Amino acid sequence: MKNKLAFWIITSVLSLFVIYALVSTVLMPVLTKNPLPKATQSAPEEKAKTGKTNKANKVNKAENNNSGDDDAIPDSLVSNSSKDARQKLFELRKKEALLHSRLTLANEDSMYLVLDFVSNTAILEMKGVRLHECRILDSDISNSIKMFHTDALLNWMAEPFNVKHVDATIPKISWVEKIAPKDSIEANKAMVEPAPTKLGDVYIVMDFNRNLRLVIAQNEKPDVEGKKLISAMRWKYSEIEIRKSIQSLTKFNREPAMPQISIVLPKSDATILYKALPVNLKLILRM
Amino acid sequence: MEIEEKKERTFLKVIIWTIPLLLLGIFVLMILYTPAFQNGAFKVKAVFVGSSDSEAKSLDGIEKSVLKSQRNINSTERKLDQLKPVKPYIVVNTTENRFSLRNANGDTIKTGTCSTGKNEILIAGSKRILFKTPKGMFEVRNKQEDRPWIKPDWAFIEDGLPIPSARSASRVEVGSLGDYALSIGDGYMIHGTLYQRFLGLPVTHGCVRIGDTDLELIYHTLSKGSKVFIY
Repeated sequence: MKNKLAFWIITSVLSLFVIYALVSTVLMPVLTKNPLPKATQSAPEEKAKTGKTNKANKVNKAENNNSGDDDAIPDSLVSNSSKDARQKLFELRKKEALLHSRLTLANEDSMYLVLDFVSNTAILEMKGVRLHECRILDSDISNSIKMFHTDALLNWMAEPFNVKHVDATIPKISWVEKIAPKDSIEANKAMVEPAPTKLGDVYIVMDFNRNLRLVIAQNEKPDVEGKKLISAMRWKYSEIEIRKSIQSLTKFNREPAMPQISIVLPKSDATILYKALPVNLKLILRM
Repeated sequence: MEIEEKKERTFLKVIIWTIPLLLLGIFVLMILYTPAFQNGAFKVKAVFVGSSDSEAKSLDGIEKSVLKSQRNINSTERKLDQLKPVKPYIVVNTTENRFSLRNANGDTIKTGTCSTGKNEILIAGSKRILFKTPKGMFEVRNKQEDRPWIKPDWAFIEDGLPIPSARSASRVEVGSLGDYALSIGDGYMIHGTLYQRFLGLPVTHGCVRIGDTDLELIYHTLSKGSKVFIY
């Protein structure tokens, strides 16, 4: 009898805990908070930074709306079924957003990254020129992005994403310090044949504005040291999420879910991209 | 009968322990893997809420929007094309120490190895001199055959020699830049090398060194104003 009572009390308390955790950490943020903020709702300081770009965008948009009236439209685009037509319009608007972002960034003097999930390629571009292109071997896109074909998604993708924070297991530049002239005189240089640089194991986490996280992992198995570094970085980000969840249990207010895109690239390509990307990286998505 | 009762009691005990443990497990998992649970919840949300906007737009309205969108796409594509180089250009990959010479259409004419900056900090007293190849878009400012190298100050600092005056004859070194040199600004060049065995390795002070035969092709393909992309 006593056991039964204890069982029911413990089970009820735990059930309440589970329900509370489910509501506060999972359901509430998913149901009440939009994880895809609008591109136009960027922070004031960001607006100041990208002011020039936005101006250029507006001009481009205006020009786009007024130009090209004589362009022929393929018949295949105009469907009899409203549902099909709506889907086609959605796809066109996605393409329009992509091209618009590309044009905006091509007008700037910086390299940018294009992740094309239609052709499964990661492209490093500058001024519209493809500098480096590599195959995305595997990818995982959060359901908050891939499940919804809505205006919210289009608005979210409408403009390039600006990086806010980058964490990586490899350095951007591996500097070597030498003291002149003892390390640098011709005699010393000739004695030491330069060795090819060893590629470290790559795991990169990039947080962008508009709540996007991009994770780049290598396809190859890491060595022991690399494994440790990668695990440490994964744990660091898991820890942040756990802390957020515990906080949400006490405050009943969790931040919106963070849409995450994880891609797997060959190690050499991941290294090339990371080393080439500018500090103020901009990203374009094609899905 | 007794055995059956015992079995029933054991079964109940198992349930009594299992259910709370299961709940506790779910609770812990939910805290540990919240993003994964949220990801699953979005899938459920899409089923119940709908995965696309159900705007009550007429077919006519949609078709008009399709036309407008297609027009914008065509126009933006044209503008993007206008930004691309109109002359042949070269792309240099500093991580792999490789180059790709391309024609104006973006088709590859030639790929090969090169040497780029060694990413070295030379400490000379209070001075710190960086040897790295700059990244970005540059253009060929001028082209020269058999160009002598006018040694900058760092070349003397590196060798522990006194720095001569700007016009001193000791600054001039003939032959070390190879047969051809293409200047891309700020003292950086694409040139030849005496150290062909180092091609493919990061060994330079910032310039891009290219093997003799490749350099000849590059020299004759690129003209003044041709773009040089370094990443």
